Amino acid sequence: MATSMIAPETIKEIPENDFFLTPSCILGAVNPGAEVLIGRIYDLLGLRWKAAGDRAESQCTCCTGFSSHGDLISIESTLLVTARLWSVAAEIGVENITTACVTSFAIHNECMEMYQHEPGLHERVDRWLQRACGRRLQIPKHVVHASDIMYRNREALAEKLRYRLVDHNTGRPLRIVDHVGCHYAKVFPEKSIGGSESCDVLAGLIRAWGGETVDYPERRHCCGMGFRQCAIRPNRGYSMACVLKKLESMEPWKPDAILTNCPGCNLILDKEQWAILQMTGVEYNIPTLSYTELAGLLLGWDPYEVVGIQGHTVPIEPLLDKLGIPYDKSKEWLTKENLEVT
Amino acid sequence: MNRNISPTEQIFPADLLSKGHEELRDIPDDKLVTAYESMRDNEFAADHTYPNLRRLYGTSLEREKDRREIRQWAENCDAEMQEWYEKARNEPCTWWLQNHLVAKHALKSCIACGVCTSQCPAAQYYPEYNPRTIVDAVLSKSEDRLVELLKSDVLWYCGQCGSCKPLCPLENNLMGLISSLRFLAQLKGYHLHSVRGRQQYAMRHLCGGNLWNRACTLYFRNITAEGHPDFGPRYAKYQSEAEGQMVRLGANPDRPGHFGGRKFSPQTLAEFRSCLASGGTLVLWNQLEEYASEDARKSGVSIDEYHDRVHREG
Repeated sequence: MATSMIAPETIKEIPENDFFLTPSCILGAVNPGAEVLIGRIYDLLGLRWKAAGDRAESQCTCCTGFSSHGDLISIESTLLVTARLWSVAAEIGVENITTACVTSFAIHNECMEMYQHEPGLHERVDRWLQRACGRRLQIPKHVVHASDIMYRNREALAEKLRYRLVDHNTGRPLRIVDHVGCHYAKVFPEKSIGGSESCDVLAGLIRAWGGETVDYPERRHCCGMGFRQCAIRPNRGYSMACVLKKLESMEPWKPDAILTNCPGCNLILDKEQWAILQMTGVEYNIPTLSYTELAGLLLGWDPYEVVGIQGHTVPIEPLLDKLGIPYDKSKEWLTKENLEVT
Repeated sequence: MNRNISPTEQIFPADLLSKGHEELRDIPDDKLVTAYESMRDNEFAADHTYPNLRRLYGTSLEREKDRREIRQWAENCDAEMQEWYEKARNEPCTWWLQNHLVAKHALKSCIACGVCTSQCPAAQYYPEYNPRTIVDAVLSKSEDRLVELLKSDVLWYCGQCGSCKPLCPLENNLMGLISSLRFLAQLKGYHLHSVRGRQQYAMRHLCGGNLWNRACTLYFRNITAEGHPDFGPRYAKYQSEAEGQMVRLGANPDRPGHFGGRKFSPQTLAEFRSCLASGGTLVLWNQLEEYASEDARKSGVSIDEYHDRVHREG
């Protein structure tokens, strides 16, 4: 699907440069390489970006998103925390927020929208913020997700790739299932690329990098992360059921990989494949990775030292074999005992 | 650290780590907080890391310190929203629907088309769950029906994915409405009537503990292999060396930096906490403590046992 085929109302303005990157609680905790890669790829593209001033210590806290959807945080506290982040960005002269997390993307956009719809809210939050931490509310120019930046630069990235999304033995384009995070495309569909039904933010990357996208019945179904559903052990059956529903639906197309732009989806769609194997005896083993991890691998960056594929439960190495990307398996783990895990 | 404490009064922080709630009871609030902070901010100069963070998270000490610290913050907070949520707690549920910033914009009307339910992953998993029944209860404006809803397990089934949002012909925001109702259920203590609702006490100290002490919702050490048997042995292997792997990949576990696991300065943490307090969140967190304490007492268990129980219950 070319960009011109996307519904006009779903084409949004993606800023060209100067980004404030807000990290993700989940991605940083579970797939740290995927998050660090955002900065590495921005650097490769020659983009100007900052994570929070020049201090060694970050001022960029959690946006409260996970806890907000976990029903623990008042909306006013969330408004204040995001306003503080915007103030930190403004302080260092950056007015484009790029989030590593899709829930942060939705949270920042929700706050932006509230200022438009609730009379007097801007003045109230500005007053509260001054009192809370001596800062002023300054609305950023843009809030975009880091995958938006990759989408905008997908062709430029394609020119830098060492490998393409094709089977290096046969030349067959690899079949990649895209799984767009719900909080990227569903909460504010007009702020995604292509809207909630035909979101192109990941499919566009797959096409540009030589692969083949797969549409399947449960393509838009949630991964089941569910915040309190995955955080509290007795609730996890919900997450597993959602993953199983998706895997059963995509399996007939024999996908070579699942591509994500949401830290929670990257976690749940990967990790719960092991639980589903235990429950059903069916071994799906579909490698699941984020758009930055895929880009890093195709750029030829070290799978273990830079990308961090060892953090995945479903091994990524079979995908590397298809792509013709070499790897040194001895570099996978830092400690040498208990290596017989699969 | 411990600048204001004489040597004879000094609490040795490491001694507190293995103590439960009951054993910490006689230690004054300020000494408990000071001891915790002295451990938290104790830098290991050789590699500029903060090795005590790993020892403090998820402990009885941290939970007890939070209870007292947040109570003090809330008592000393005269923020407008602190007062608003104190007031809202004692108002009828219908008042909340008309006045809460999210609730009052979330639901305009409903034509009962059912598209929210047809697209809802939770409705597909929980046979008794149907978002339309929540909409119906809210639109009824019946206090009795709303209280019944707030006491139910059904309220807690939504996964907050937002699959319902883009398809609703009336542009209702059910995920926002449901989260708002869950907040109200906890403020009023109705969550204690449901197994799923009681789990919020575990969420309070898991996600809330991370926010209050580490300015993040998820600390990388939370996701233990023991706590996540569904993630399998390969994850267990990775988690056993997570810190080293994070460093290798450029992240910042328990140290200053810009990426995963980063430790915030006391100044940044103080700003973040002020934002939480000014927005009224601490009203909820204090209420959750009071309700949990009372529920634990009725059950004849300690608050530590209660905390562990609601993590597993359901």
